[in-house]
Amino acid sequence: MTDIFNNLSLGFSVALTMMNLFYALVGALLGTLIGVLPGIGPLATIAMLLPFTFNLPAVSALIMLAGIYYGAQYGGSTTSILVNLPGEAASVITCLDGYAMARQGRAGPALAVSALGSFFAGCSATVLIALFAPPLSELALQFSAVEYFSLMALGLVAAVVLAHGSLLKAIAMVFLGLFLGLVGADVNSGLLRFTFGIYELSDGIGVVVIAMGLFGFSEIINNLERRETRVVLHAKVQKWMPSRDDFRASWKAVLRGTTLGSFLGILPGGGAMISSFASYTLEKRLAVDPSRFGKGAIEGVAGPESANNAGAQTSFIPLLTLGIPPNAVMALMLGAMMIQGIAPGPQVMVERPELFWGVIASMWVGNLMLVVLNLPLIGIWIHLLSVPYRLLYPAILMFCCIGVYSLNHMALDVALTAVFGLLGYVFIRLDCEPAPLLLGFILGPLMEENLRRALLLSRGDPTVFFARPISLGMILLSGLLLLLIIIPAARRKREEVYRKE
Amino acid sequence: MKWICLLARLVLVAVPLLSYVCSAFAQSYPNKPIRCIVPYPPGGVVDFHARIIGQKLSESWGQQVVIDNRGGAGATLGTALAAKAAPDGYTFLVVSPSHAINATLYKKLTFNTEKDFAPVTQLTSAPLILVVHSSVPAKSTKELIALAKSKPGQLNYASSGSGTSTHLAAVLFTTMAGVDIVHIPYKGGGPATADLLAGHVQMNFAGITLLSHIKSGKLRALGVTTAKRSMAIPDLPTIAESGLPGYEVDAWYGAYFPAETPREIVSKLNKEIVKILHMADVKAHFASQGAEIVGNTPEEFAVFTKAEIDKWAKVVKDSGARVD
Repeated sequence: MTDIFNNLSLGFSVALTMMNLFYALVGALLGTLIGVLPGIGPLATIAMLLPFTFNLPAVSALIMLAGIYYGAQYGGSTTSILVNLPGEAASVITCLDGYAMARQGRAGPALAVSALGSFFAGCSATVLIALFAPPLSELALQFSAVEYFSLMALGLVAAVVLAHGSLLKAIAMVFLGLFLGLVGADVNSGLLRFTFGIYELSDGIGVVVIAMGLFGFSEIINNLERRETRVVLHAKVQKWMPSRDDFRASWKAVLRGTTLGSFLGILPGGGAMISSFASYTLEKRLAVDPSRFGKGAIEGVAGPESANNAGAQTSFIPLLTLGIPPNAVMALMLGAMMIQGIAPGPQVMVERPELFWGVIASMWVGNLMLVVLNLPLIGIWIHLLSVPYRLLYPAILMFCCIGVYSLNHMALDVALTAVFGLLGYVFIRLDCEPAPLLLGFILGPLMEENLRRALLLSRGDPTVFFARPISLGMILLSGLLLLLIIIPAARRKREEVYRKE
Repeated sequence: MKWICLLARLVLVAVPLLSYVCSAFAQSYPNKPIRCIVPYPPGGVVDFHARIIGQKLSESWGQQVVIDNRGGAGATLGTALAAKAAPDGYTFLVVSPSHAINATLYKKLTFNTEKDFAPVTQLTSAPLILVVHSSVPAKSTKELIALAKSKPGQLNYASSGSGTSTHLAAVLFTTMAGVDIVHIPYKGGGPATADLLAGHVQMNFAGITLLSHIKSGKLRALGVTTAKRSMAIPDLPTIAESGLPGYEVDAWYGAYFPAETPREIVSKLNKEIVKILHMADVKAHFASQGAEIVGNTPEEFAVFTKAEIDKWAKVVKDSGARVD
């Protein structure tokens, strides 16, 4: 235990130097800014800033880059809540209830709760990293393809819960998402599927492309129809402090979201991405009145926002302890470490303790800066909405296009976003919700990859999924969840039939 | 007859004039920012090479070298872009062995790997290392081959994807040793390493970045793939000397211009890069990743590229991997 205190005090002595405080602030500010700009994500920003870090000491460089990463998680929720534009996959879920709250004039509380929830999650996850990083990474390694597959299966069943309308439509959307996820090179053979000779499609369709099209673009098209209600977000949004009821409703969601996100973030197979979805599903399941979800339930903002921030924080664990980057941004951080001449891996903690603990301590400092920065900014963001629609939305569209282009420098991505925007509009007219589609799209490829890997490793024996306890548990849980969904639906159907007779 | 004379005279005048223009062009080169295409997303080893060289080039030439990451489709998208760029010396490409592998792996490439590029220089050469999980009893390449022979089709090897150099290095290994080991492809080196560390797969051909896990005892290195031992781990024998004579795989990184780039410019970039490669800090940077600097001439690099394409063509055929 004294070790931890020694380590942390070493960390803070590094993080609290004037220079490192400055770089943490720069990172947090930049991160918030690019998080708010739709589409321009941390990946493009860190890539652009990488040359600048050459001449910085390694600790300062990593502190700044990490700040950009978790700053973007804070900022990303802002546009989701205000204009239904998810900056990245993790903030898609925030659109569902955040935007609904904004339309009711409660953008302020939504933003405040998401900032406070993120702060709590960030701090807790930092403590978790400081105390348990090495054993947690060991635990995460025990997750093999078998467990990943079962986790994804559970997630997919849960996807249906995301919808608040028709069950059949939700299932249809999940499947559509799964099919879209098939596009691209097959992992095992390398053969191209559904790319129609377009090489740009060989790595599949981007998540941001689909998310921005289905949520943001379609909402903009849809808004053009509602001439009168378009300026829903008027003067009454001035009050931004959440009420006592809001706090009461959200604190448990924040706790659960943090726990869920912290755990999923550790998994090197991209678990952080699904943590916000998982948290939303959990909150909706546990709610006394699930029908409020999708219509401005504050738990639906608090839970997922905390989960994605906790996940973002703990996804540093595999990078720092094993040298394995769990996502593209972490891969870039690994690149930054390489350029600094640091070989990432288990020895970093021993050979460069000032680096390891300095970065961890700076996460806490950075989170504090972010919440101090973000709470007063809420007032400014809300005022942004009083900019006339005819000026605000073309500007947003332009930023979206720049953002989507900056992902892979492909014009095709921008065109695809537009196509998905139109498709999203059709979905709105048909009352089909895009969230289950997106989850299907994210989980589908992961599920396929792990299913096939598990079967390759077991030489085609499907019983492996039931032989391993964690996997068996998750499969049973998904079966149970499926029953919980089907039984009430079936009962309703039967009642309808009786009534007709 | 008359017009032939005229033509001849024109050529006689034009050729020296042209070469004069060219050399003037080469002297003023570079007078604007240079684009360096990396056909991978930022963060990988190729990106690392490009950024180290780009940074030093910017300093010595006073012109910004912009790293342009164009990942996707197994590096073929970015490579195609470089093939079609104006051959004026303001666009160059940095690649890995995949450049040579893709020539055979992809049935329909929009460029010709040999004809559409002017080799500049090979930057570095790095070994892959054959690593096994600590639970695998084999202590040497010889013992591993014996183990695989006693358990045909029971061991697994991970790779960072079908048709990547880590996959094909293993294919070359299994065909040369005559053993049957099952290929488990992953999406990138990270997840492959994770499953190797956990022991879900038994072996892997990987970059030297795994060294820290070897030191910690979780993984065991059996040999380096190169013909010579690596300076980073001099104790580790080569695979060829410890059980599989003739085996050689080189993870190399090189720079190319689009074909038709004036020769003066090719040699100017070549000389500058070679100078950079021999700087002490650059050498140390590459050494930290297990890469040893090469810096050969464009002619030598052209011969090397041709040999690599031919070598991998055969392995790709053996592996059955194919992308159309």
